[in-house]
Amino acid sequence: MRKKSLLCLWPLVAALSVTPCIAQPVAPDTKPESVEALRAEVAGLRHQLDTQRREFDARLREMEAKFAAIETAAAKVPAPAGQVSAAAAVAPPRPELAERSRVLPGRLGGAVQSMNPDVSAIIDLNYHADDSKEGISHVLEALPGFDHTHGGEEEHHHGPDEGFNMSHLELQFSAEVDPYFKGSAIAAVSEDGAEMETAEIETTSLPGGLKLRGGKFFSDFGYINAQHSHAWDFVDRPLVYQLLLGDHGLNDKGLQLSWLAPTPFYLLAGIEAFQSGGESEMSFAYSGEEPLPRHDGPRLWVGWLKFGPNLPGNHGLQFGVFGATGKHQEAHDGQTENPPGVWTPDGDGIADHWLDGDTTFWGGDFVYKYNSPKPYGQGDFTLQGEYFNRRKDLEMVGNDFNPALVGNRSIANQDGYYVQAVYGVLPRWRAGLRWEQVGLTNHIDYPDGSEFSGDASYRFGPMIDWSLSEFSRLRLQLNRGEYETDADRDGVTELYLQWVVSLGAHGAHKF
Amino acid sequence: MKHTILLRTLAVLTVTCLAATAGTLKIVTTTSDLAAIAKAVAGDKAEVHSICTGKEDPHMLQAKPSFILQARDADLWIRLGLELEIGWEAPILDGSRNARIREGTPGHLDAAESALILDIPTVKVTRAMGDVHPQGNPHYWLDPLNGRRIAVAIAERLAEIAPDGAASFRANAAAFQQALDERMFGAELLRTVPADNLWAMTEDGTIVAVLAAPANQGKSGGWLAAMQPLRGQKIVTYHRSWVYFAHRFGLRVAAEIEPKPGVPPTAVHLREIAETARQQKIRIILQEPFYSRKAADRLAGETGARVVVVANSVGGQPEATDYFALMDLIVKRLTEK
Repeated sequence: MRKKSLLCLWPLVAALSVTPCIAQPVAPDTKPESVEALRAEVAGLRHQLDTQRREFDARLREMEAKFAAIETAAAKVPAPAGQVSAAAAVAPPRPELAERSRVLPGRLGGAVQSMNPDVSAIIDLNYHADDSKEGISHVLEALPGFDHTHGGEEEHHHGPDEGFNMSHLELQFSAEVDPYFKGSAIAAVSEDGAEMETAEIETTSLPGGLKLRGGKFFSDFGYINAQHSHAWDFVDRPLVYQLLLGDHGLNDKGLQLSWLAPTPFYLLAGIEAFQSGGESEMSFAYSGEEPLPRHDGPRLWVGWLKFGPNLPGNHGLQFGVFGATGKHQEAHDGQTENPPGVWTPDGDGIADHWLDGDTTFWGGDFVYKYNSPKPYGQGDFTLQGEYFNRRKDLEMVGNDFNPALVGNRSIANQDGYYVQAVYGVLPRWRAGLRWEQVGLTNHIDYPDGSEFSGDASYRFGPMIDWSLSEFSRLRLQLNRGEYETDADRDGVTELYLQWVVSLGAHGAHKF
Repeated sequence: MKHTILLRTLAVLTVTCLAATAGTLKIVTTTSDLAAIAKAVAGDKAEVHSICTGKEDPHMLQAKPSFILQARDADLWIRLGLELEIGWEAPILDGSRNARIREGTPGHLDAAESALILDIPTVKVTRAMGDVHPQGNPHYWLDPLNGRRIAVAIAERLAEIAPDGAASFRANAAAFQQALDERMFGAELLRTVPADNLWAMTEDGTIVAVLAAPANQGKSGGWLAAMQPLRGQKIVTYHRSWVYFAHRFGLRVAAEIEPKPGVPPTAVHLREIAETARQQKIRIILQEPFYSRKAADRLAGETGARVVVVANSVGGQPEATDYFALMDLIVKRLTEK
């Protein structure tokens, strides 16, 4: 209504405003001769004025002429049909405007650019040194209660070399498949070749808060398991993960169904079924070769719950509980009992007694994050921790040396936890501290009726890192560990220097 | 028995939640400025929540569980776009399992699609340039003309999602526009020249001639009149976040304290801009409250310029209660002595 009355008045208003221009109807930029003439005339009439004043007048006339032109053009534009319409709400963009500004294409237009998958690569170099005689990996593999076998395979060392190490090159691809699915994959390329780290499909439009995920993926139990190593706050994985799940964490092929509950707080529940073909040999090894029995997959089931209260402001908190149960098989190289109670490998590399059964684990995790209003991560704070308890319940299914033990059970129960805090001390600089313990529970009942009880080992260490941008990071980390080995306590100090960069698509990180 | 109790509790919880979500529309915006405009457009027909509070740097945010919860219940998700939320939008939308607000659906609105965008790179962007957004500078809400355009886009999208309220959304957007026009130009000038023409003339500075015309003398009001004494002045800003505001009010950004977007200031760069500031007689150093004042104060000490610390988002400072109040505050801080 108001706009209409304004429009009625418009011709009058336009005429009034343009009056000064009509008196001098010369456009200086279109006819330079006339401008000169006009300038000369003005100069003659106002010769008492200084040069500055003259320049100002000319500029003013130039602008007034432009203004008159705009008004004439605008007056010809028909009145908008409705009061609000995106296109009519502003004057049509003129050439100057179009050069500097651009109205982005509509919803469909924008999609064309993102048809290709997002591609990124992570390059991760580190330098490692420790003061142990045979290397930290050797110490960790010999921790009583946490040692393991490879189902008859030859032993190989895990963990870093002394000196330079390249973490595998992570090539990541991800894209929306169609309106229903999303796909992503990570190829882990190392000096020895390439392997499929993950390759997964997930639904994007199931109703009721449900999501189905399939392929080879990291289990979402706990907190750190599903994070990629370059997103960790420390170079190496926590001891409890290293000792109970090995170098790859819990990552296997299978299905996951998860549900976001319609509760007034955050509650996410998930169940996973994995084939479990030996990816996590520390707790879920499987060979199925004689004399070990065959078990059809899925051989590993995982369930978890995540709960997040609604904290105000920049505080975020999440608690999780989890449990898993799966088939586990061990094939041991023969051992001789000499002296009684002390088993030593006979060293021929051929398995001669076999165990089959189930491993279960349960535990909990929490993470608290404070997102500081300061830029570049200064003042950000993260506190996180995880605990898990593993129980291997196995039965002797074959023994070439001592057939009498067949049918006897062996139960191994170990646990561990870590707690770590990281704080943004300066823009782009973070400092962190991690404290870990394993083997607070460390007990084994052997098939022959003997048992073992071990003490806990611990490790702690500071780290400091400098993220020059979101895409590159330099890190220094120290670990000091006191390990409860067969012989006695073994103290090891480790040093890590890490240089990690990410190329390509800007990955967003989960909470 | 135990199971029955558990099931009942779950059932009651579910029903309560469903009941709570029925009725009013739920709008979740990534930033507080979008929330302020959405509130004005939706009126009492929607509940509006913002992910950012306006106090933090929206480039960096953690996709915390309570954000996922807000997205879960949303009917409309409005983002600023231009990759500003790239570090946290996807985990929130993915985590919410809410198919209504997925990208490409009517429930997902990219406000940048309706805005006039500056700083669109004309050369190939590499990360060696710092945090340059390849689709253009994302701080476009600081141009009040864009605020006006976003209101229309939100009204149109709401009309699509909830056709029953279409008339009301459009009327609210028109009222928002009119109020914004009055605050920008003053009621008297608007009676003389239509708002659309005035906005167009602020684009290339011809507004100066209009105000100087004898027929319009003394008619301008609002932010335009208040900012008039600063027109043509060069300023230094901390981050490249004030180009839109500067463009609309005829200020010129001569340098940034950050050597490259998203890169903290260095001593060498500060020396360079101190020299620039002295040569170009810069009087104002403008920055957001979440940046450290150290660099700006040092620069001010060396050049005699004035440091102006003002929120660039609704909620960034107590006075910035809504979109108009934010602009009021910025204009006030820039023009006070």
